[in-house]
Amino acid sequence: MTDFLIDFSQYTIDGALKGMLYALIALSFVVIYRAGRIFNFAQGEVLVLGGYLVLTFCTLFSLPFWLGLILAILSMAVIGVIIERGIFRPLIGQELFSLIMVTIALIFILQGVTIVIWGGMERPFPFIVAQEPFRVGPFLLNRPILLGGIISLGLIALLSFLFERSRWGLTLTAVAEEHKIAQSLGISVKKAIAIGWAISCILSTVASIIFLNGQAINFTASVIGLQALPVALLAGVESIWGVPLAGLIVGLGEAWAVYFLDPYTGGAMSRIFPYILMLVILLIRPYGLFGWKTIERV
Amino acid sequence: MALLPSGIFFETYRQKKGYIHTRPQWVCFLAFLLVLAFFPSLISSRHLGVVTVMSIILIAVVGLQIPIGYAGQINLGQSAFMGMGAFVTASLAINLNWPVWATIPCGGLGGAFLGAIFALPVMRIKGFYLALTTMTAQVIFPILIMALPDNLFGGAIGLRIEPAKFLGITFNTDRSLYYLNMFVAAIMIFFAFNLVRSRTGRAFMAIRDNDIASELIGINISLYKTLAFFIGAFYAGVAGGLWAYYIRFIGADQFTLYFSIWYVSMLIVGGMGSILGAILGTVFLRSLQEIITYLGPFLVRVFPQMGGGEIWFAGMNILLGVVIVLFLIFEPRGLAHRWAILKTSYRIWPFPYIR
Repeated sequence: MTDFLIDFSQYTIDGALKGMLYALIALSFVVIYRAGRIFNFAQGEVLVLGGYLVLTFCTLFSLPFWLGLILAILSMAVIGVIIERGIFRPLIGQELFSLIMVTIALIFILQGVTIVIWGGMERPFPFIVAQEPFRVGPFLLNRPILLGGIISLGLIALLSFLFERSRWGLTLTAVAEEHKIAQSLGISVKKAIAIGWAISCILSTVASIIFLNGQAINFTASVIGLQALPVALLAGVESIWGVPLAGLIVGLGEAWAVYFLDPYTGGAMSRIFPYILMLVILLIRPYGLFGWKTIERV
Repeated sequence: MALLPSGIFFETYRQKKGYIHTRPQWVCFLAFLLVLAFFPSLISSRHLGVVTVMSIILIAVVGLQIPIGYAGQINLGQSAFMGMGAFVTASLAINLNWPVWATIPCGGLGGAFLGAIFALPVMRIKGFYLALTTMTAQVIFPILIMALPDNLFGGAIGLRIEPAKFLGITFNTDRSLYYLNMFVAAIMIFFAFNLVRSRTGRAFMAIRDNDIASELIGINISLYKTLAFFIGAFYAGVAGGLWAYYIRFIGADQFTLYFSIWYVSMLIVGGMGSILGAILGTVFLRSLQEIITYLGPFLVRVFPQMGGGEIWFAGMNILLGVVIVLFLIFEPRGLAHRWAILKTSYRIWPFPYIR
């Protein structure tokens, strides 16, 4: 019985930590949405690009880690601004479909560019954080993911303050509600989207460090973006505080599906469980758990 | 609606309902059919294969036009629905030995039911939430295929099927496959052209233009949104069935999100809300893809430092992405709109002002 309890708690702890990592990635979706009303499908590719930049600065140029990380984060912010300038500025005020499809086009462009620059083969990602786990009583805590969880909670508190309390964040929120109205109130939609992209690119770089720490990187690592999708949707893409909660739900649900259901379904259930959870919750609450409920008029 | 040639007026509704009004239009249409019929004699068998694949994809893309272009419901799962059709078709042909005229419609229904399941949230959600839930079809589909028993859908190995047999003909040559696929594609496109002019098609367009207003005038929007998905996914399922008989070895990795996005890109390039647009977009992008495949070895020789197969893949991706972005920014109404402008300016020549 105690064995069962220890096993079960270990799975629960791992699930919760994994959920926090998902939350960090989902946060980068939410930030772009909260600043520019764009749902970025290419978030996984942005994350891979951030990972490659860290790899380039830290390993290939063999700079010290702190300098490499700062350079990677700064260059990702610049890339975010370039993406806004090149792709989103001409599309401001266009209908939703164009904004969705252009982020999908971005998936292809970013994927192609990473392959052209870094090749398609797998490369080892440096150990930014030591890999050996913490030992707390009978449990093992994965160190990079634990660190990621703490970082993501801190970032969530910071961003939530920025977006919901500061005047600057509230102007970004106005853009998220409606481009045209925000523009007529004198808010620069261009600047809002650029800021959203810059912050989101920085978040993705941080997430890539934690997610890829000590593993291999190639362009297929972008699936993590797809795995974080249910979290962003469950939370409702407008809600920053909803993200860690949704991350917890998805992480725990996935871990328990691994523990209880996978023996019967050969590993399939845990992989589709987050998506089924998301579909069911969207059927009951179409705007996610904490999303804005908009009233539509004819 | 494009302008009609001068001097054409209708005396009955029957005339107005027609697609082809003048004698030159009939001549062009029949000439086009003749070219299609004698196509296999005109080109090499490698190019014939390209055209056959194009006709299969054409069915899937025309089907995709119905939920996206007409009903305004974004669907990023068309490739999974196509895969479902392929697996149902192959499974029926292998396990129950059904003939081709039964398996392909059943494959269509298989795809349609999968589409309808993922369209259930459509009653409640819209916009990018919908794009994401249909995208999950794409994530769940391969996992589902792998998890189901091997003798049903082939599991991780895939399914190998015998060539289609119909009326004593075995469809295993390039030429016979071309005729089979082109024939089915022609029927499906004919139905699509008429569907969008029917009551159902008008209901779809009303929902696309404003779903709240259309609910107020008495359109059952849940029903019609689901129906749009059902029909679109049926087209995908039929395309999948044809694909299964064409390629004769199917696996879950042939129906990834990558292809779904290709199909949506074909719609963007061709133009939303126009069956002709779906056709133009498919032909344009597919030809571009073939040209790159053809030039691939040459490019690798010119840029040897970039490595072999990956650079081809990367180049294709960048090209696709750039084409989508350029069309969204500069011509969101697609090639179909350009074609309409061309036709109108030809008709009112020499007067310069059109549109």
